This record gives sequence, structure tokens and C-alpha cells, in this order.
Amino acid sequence: MPLKRLFAITSLLFLAVLAISPVKNALRPYRSLQRQFARLAASRARSQAAARAFQARPVAIQQIWLPALNNTVDRCTTCHLGVAEPTMAGAPAPFQFHARSTHTPADLERFGCTSCHGGQGLATSKEEAHGAAPGSGGPMIPLAFAEAGCGRCHGAEQVPGAEILSRGRVLMDAAGCLACHGVKGREGFRSDAPPLEAMGPKTGGEALRRWLHSPREVDPNATMPDFHLTDVQINQLSHYLFNLAGTARTAGLVQAAAKEPAGDPANGKKLFAEARCLTCHTVEGKGNGSAPELSKVASRDQAGWLLAFIRDPHAFNPRTRMPQYGFNAAETRDIVAYFESEFRDFDAPKDILDPIAVNQSTAEAGARLYRQLGCFACHGASNEKFGPDLNGIGDKRAGSLEFGNRKDLPRTLPAWLDAKIADPRSLGQGLKMPSYGFSAPDRRALVTALLAMGAVPVPEAYRSAPAAKHVSLPGGRVGQIFDRYRCLSCHRFGDQGGDTSTAPLTFEGSKCKPEWVADYLMLSYTIRPILTDRMPVFRMAREDAALLAQTFETFYRDPAIPDDPFKDKPREPEAGRLLYETQGCRACHILGAGGGYFGPPLSEAGKRLKPGWVYTWMKGPQKWRADVRCPDYGFSDTDALRLTAYLDTLRTAPKQPGVAK
Amino acid sequence: MSLKPAVILLLLLTGGACARRKAAAPPAPQPAAAETAAQPAAAEAPSAPPEPPLPYELRLGRAVYRHYCATCHGETGAGDGFNAFNLDPRPKDLSDPALQKAKSDADLIDAVRRGGAGVGLSPLMPPWARTLTAVQIEQVVGYIRTFRK
Repeated sequence: MPLKRLFAITSLLFLAVLAISPVKNALRPYRSLQRQFARLAASRARSQAAARAFQARPVAIQQIWLPALNNTVDRCTTCHLGVAEPTMAGAPAPFQFHARSTHTPADLERFGCTSCHGGQGLATSKEEAHGAAPGSGGPMIPLAFAEAGCGRCHGAEQVPGAEILSRGRVLMDAAGCLACHGVKGREGFRSDAPPLEAMGPKTGGEALRRWLHSPREVDPNATMPDFHLTDVQINQLSHYLFNLAGTARTAGLVQAAAKEPAGDPANGKKLFAEARCLTCHTVEGKGNGSAPELSKVASRDQAGWLLAFIRDPHAFNPRTRMPQYGFNAAETRDIVAYFESEFRDFDAPKDILDPIAVNQSTAEAGARLYRQLGCFACHGASNEKFGPDLNGIGDKRAGSLEFGNRKDLPRTLPAWLDAKIADPRSLGQGLKMPSYGFSAPDRRALVTALLAMGAVPVPEAYRSAPAAKHVSLPGGRVGQIFDRYRCLSCHRFGDQGGDTSTAPLTFEGSKCKPEWVADYLMLSYTIRPILTDRMPVFRMAREDAALLAQTFETFYRDPAIPDDPFKDKPREPEAGRLLYETQGCRACHILGAGGGYFGPPLSEAGKRLKPGWVYTWMKGPQKWRADVRCPDYGFSDTDALRLTAYLDTLRTAPKQPGVAK
Repeated sequence: MSLKPAVILLLLLTGGACARRKAAAPPAPQPAAAETAAQPAAAEAPSAPPEPPLPYELRLGRAVYRHYCATCHGETGAGDGFNAFNLDPRPKDLSDPALQKAKSDADLIDAVRRGGAGVGLSPLMPPWARTLTAVQIEQVVGYIRTFRK
């Protein structure tokens, strides 16, 4: 009976088809991996019981389910079985113990795996989970950029334990990426590039041509990137810039200054050193480089402009980080005379600072170019962005990226980002992004910072709280003084301000004695000899210094720092001195004749520091600055008070060498 | 009525299903192969630094060392940090093979934790137990081990 036979064959085949799925499942690679792991872990286990526990583990898919973290399900531990087993340190992949860091492996159950590493948590085959298979969703973040994962929750610029990410974020701000590219939450970012109105009176035709041709060749500290301008474009832009007559005020200031008599270069040299210009500016590379190199400045800028600019930098560039010094008219003339005599490019042509005879139609072409090239994003008055925004760029799919003719690049997001930063215009026709000349390690840091910008926001509960709270800035007269001396260029102030200075001002009133603050503002001296970034000597007026000191004293205090730590307690300076001698404080601090020069000298600690601050500091320096090197000795209240009493007796310092009163 | 095509079709389908299973199954897992899997990812990274990258934990140890220790002990552990010359006694040369051999990891961890005074040496080496975590101290000792000449 053919029909019966057919029925039998069909039934058998049907059974065979039914069996495929269970067989397939039984042969899944994770099963053999789990058996392999059980043997390996048992052989490495430290006790019989632990070994038996490993062997008794059922073979099954493991998963971490995190409903609060965007409903993440990570099955990575199905194969990566040893991530939380210290005995598996050094075991072969995928069984090895996870590197220990702030969150790993302790917080595995809280964060899962893909929240840091990317990839496909639901998948249970290696290709799909790692995102290597086509169409398997987003790939893992390559190990070289692994710190990008930290940045998804940690929004602060400095993330402890993630030095590459932190470096990338610093570079992004320093290079001014966000002037062109919008990022949610950072829309207010402005480049501190100068407005162009005052450019004509500042420089000359040839000097400007050299600058536009390659800013870094003119000034290695230049933040302006290389736009690869053609000679025609440079010419058009030059005519445009010289055509902007300059706002009446600044042009007038420059013209008036140009007519002044020359000063005394010798005195200028002295003032230049005393004011500590080389903290930010460099001369042949010495200085921190956050402001222009000055060794050839007199061949870049007109003498009259230099004079007027030093007197009131903020009139020329309201966004500059440079403070307005309190030099008098003759002193600024001396400083500029010093520049004119020594800071020249002696190989430069004589006419390097001659102005251009403006041709109106060329200038109009230049004005169009200024728009087309997006110069306004950095130099303009408004906060208009030019490039595409960067929100979610870290989750962009490689398939949506334009690689142009770059056949040499792997089709991955990190490779694309790296190429985009290294050689932006190689990725297609008509691209306008300029070149920044970043080194390979810097590009790696930048790519890490970009990959940290995820498309899906991390839930509030998972976002790392900023370390510094917001503090209101002073207004009125004090606000003007803050602005004039640009305190925030270097000092942290709550969550604002730069980090050039190691001394945040947020709780200055609880830390330093007001008399000392006022004296220091009048004549700042070296507190920590090893630091190269020094507080400038501003020539601040006494009433300004007194007002600032009083403001700190009144408003900028921390309630956790007691006014009088000795209340109802004895002062025991002698016991404190013994502690100081025996605890090794002098390894870092100078006191009297000896001591190391790492921490601040303590010879006049009692003149500078309030006892409440010293006491609180002794009880745990890291509470006040997380990365401070002063170790927490774990002093008892009594010992901390004894040391405080001793330091408070130290009022007179040996005269600072080289400081003229 | 010809059911042959149907049977053949069924056979083909079955075969196809089995073949797909074979194709989907990756080669037998080998630890060595799996280990190299992480490296192509790192190698394909277009901007890896030129020096051979340190393992993550050693890098963390290095960051701690450079921040807290190099001041006195020097970048290479030779005891020649810029503050070393203000100290009497001078910091030990951590790269000295004899010292590296004589001290176990536990000894070094103890010295970092309790400081010089805690282990009967100079108090100029401060105790770090309250400043650094236990893991950080293990990592910095791991990094110190890379100084072995």
C-alpha cells in the first residue's frame, strides 16, 4: 500500500523535523562551555565544597535582568562564567575573572554587562552577542575604547579610574568641538575665540595670511584648526577682516595707544616676569600653553593693539580668559617695549604688519566665505552652531556612516570617528570640518569621549551625581572684580570654573583667614614651590582685595567646617609638634629649615589657614578634594586638634626669596 | 497522484534545517581561539597607543602609582622622584631585584597600607590604607612588580 508507506515515511520525517529543535539546543556551544567551565573552576577551587558546587551547577542560560536600567537583559554570563570568581584570575577566555575596578566585579548585579561594554545582551551565541554578525544590532565597544562605557553614566569631565575618557573630554572642551557641534545640556558652550571686528587694527596683511594658512605654524598653542584654505580664500577672508573697521571703541583705543611714546624694555622685562604671564602664555614652549606663544608676538600684532589689549583685554574679547591687570599706563608701555625689543620674528619681512588696501568685492566674497566655512561658530557673537549635533553619536550604526573612498578603514564606528578627527575631509566630498592635528593617543581619547554619548539616556538612578554642587556667583561690585580678574579662568567655584588652580574658592571663607587672603591678592607668592601654574600678580587695588576677602569670609563657607574646633577643648600645641615630627608630615611639607616641597609649606600655616579648616582637613583630606595626595592618617579628634593647635602657632615665615614688597 | 515531489520537498526541507544548524554552530570552542577574540577588537582599534597596552588593572595601578607614589619613588621606581632628595632616608629603589625578591606581595601591601612607621621603617612613607582602597593597593603593588629589572 503506497499510501500507508507514504504515511509512515511522512510520520518519521515529521518526527525527525520535530527533533531538530531539541538537538539544536542540546548542541548549543554554551553548553559545552559550561561543562568545560565546571571542570576548570573545580580544579581551581580553593575548597572541596566549592569544587563540588561548581560541578553541581546545572547547565542553563544565565542572565542578569535589570528592570530599572532600561529593562536590560544580559546573558553574557552564560559563557563568561568566571567574571565574578576570583579563583578564575588569569584563566583562558571566556572564563577569566573580570578586571577589578570601582564597579567590577562587585556591582555586576547592578549594572550588568552591556551597559558598559555594549553588544547584544539577549543573544546567546558569541557572534550575535558581540555584535559581530551582520544585522545583530549594535556591536560591543572595542577594548581600546572601553572607558566610553564609564562615560554613559558619569557625565563629569573628570571620571576617576577612566583617564582616557577624562582626557578626551578635556580635549573636546579645549579644542572647542562644541562651538560647532551641539550637545544636549552643553548648548551654552562658547569658544573663547576673539570677535573679528578688531582684527584689522591688530595685525597686518602678511601676518594674517600666515595665520590663516596654518595657525599652528604661527603659534603652536593656537586653538584654531587648519581649514586648508586656498590662497584665493585666504585673500578674500583677509579683505573681509580688514574691511571690518573695528568697533569704534577698540579701534580708537588702538589708534590712541599707537601714538604713545615707547617705554623701557628693561622694566617691561621685570614686570613681565613678576606678573607671571608665563603661567598661561608660553615663550619658546615654557608655560602651560593655554594662551598664545609670545616669542614672536611683536611680529604678529601691532604695538598699539598690544598696548590697548593688555590694558583692557575684555574690550577686545569679552570671552577671553585673560585677566585685566592693574598696570598703569607707563608700565604697559614698558611691557610692550619689551615685546617689541625681544619677541620678534627677526626673519619676517619688514612689511609683515602692513595693512591691506581693501577691495570691496573681494571683501564681500570673504564675508560669504565667513558664513560658508562656519567661522561664525567660534568667532561670532551669537551661539549659532554650524556642524551636526553629537547627541547619541556613540550609538550610531556603522551602516549609516559615509566612508567615502576610504577603502582602508574597517566599517566600524570607532574607525570612522578616528578618521573623521584625523583627516575629516577624506570621508567625502565637500566636507567642511577642519583639521586639528591630534596625536593618535589624543584621538583615542576623543573617540572614547564620543562613544560615551549614548542614544538612549541612562535612567536618573544610574546617573552619577556631579561631585561639585552649584554655587551662586557674586553679583554687583564683587561680580565685576571677579570678572575683571577672571578668577574662574583658573579656580573652581562649585561646579563652575577652570581647574588650573589647585585651590577651589567654593569654601575659601572657611579655609583661609581674610587678612591673609587680602594680602595674598595684593601680592601673591608661591605657595607650592613645585607647581608651575602660578597665581598672577594682578596689581590689584587694595579695596578690591579687601572686598574679595570679605566676600569669601561672609558668603563662601562650608557649614561642615567649624569656626572654632577648640570650643571647650584644650589647645595642646606641644603634643601637636611631637605628632608632626613623628608622623612624617615633613616628607611633603616645608617647615622651618627642612622638609619636602610637595605640599604647601607650613612655616606660616597659622597666618594663612583657619584652625577649623586644618582640623577638618586632618579628619580626611579626600573629602575636600578626592584626588589630593595628602594621605588620610585616620587621626583621632584629640590628635587632629593637637596638630591643629601646633600649626596655628606658626605665624611667621622666613622671608620669601625673590619676592619684592 | 504524485506525492513524490512533496516527499522530496520534505526531505530537502529537513536537510536544509539540519544544514542550517551546522552552519549556525560555531566551531568547537577552544579557549585559545576565544582568548584571541578580544585582541582583534583591540588591534582593529585605529588609534591604539604605540606602546604595548598594559592590562587594565596594571593601568589602574600605574595611575595610582604616578599620582601618589612617583613624587618620591620616581617614575621608574628608582627612588629618584623630585621630592626624594628632601628625604632622609631616601626612598628605596623599588626596581632593585633583591628587594623585589625579598618582599612578597603581602609585605609590600602591608608597607603601603601601614606606611614606613607601621612596618618599622622611616615614617616619611605615609600610611595609605585610608586613602586608597584595598584593591587599589593590590593594583599598585602589581604595578610595582613591573619595575623588576
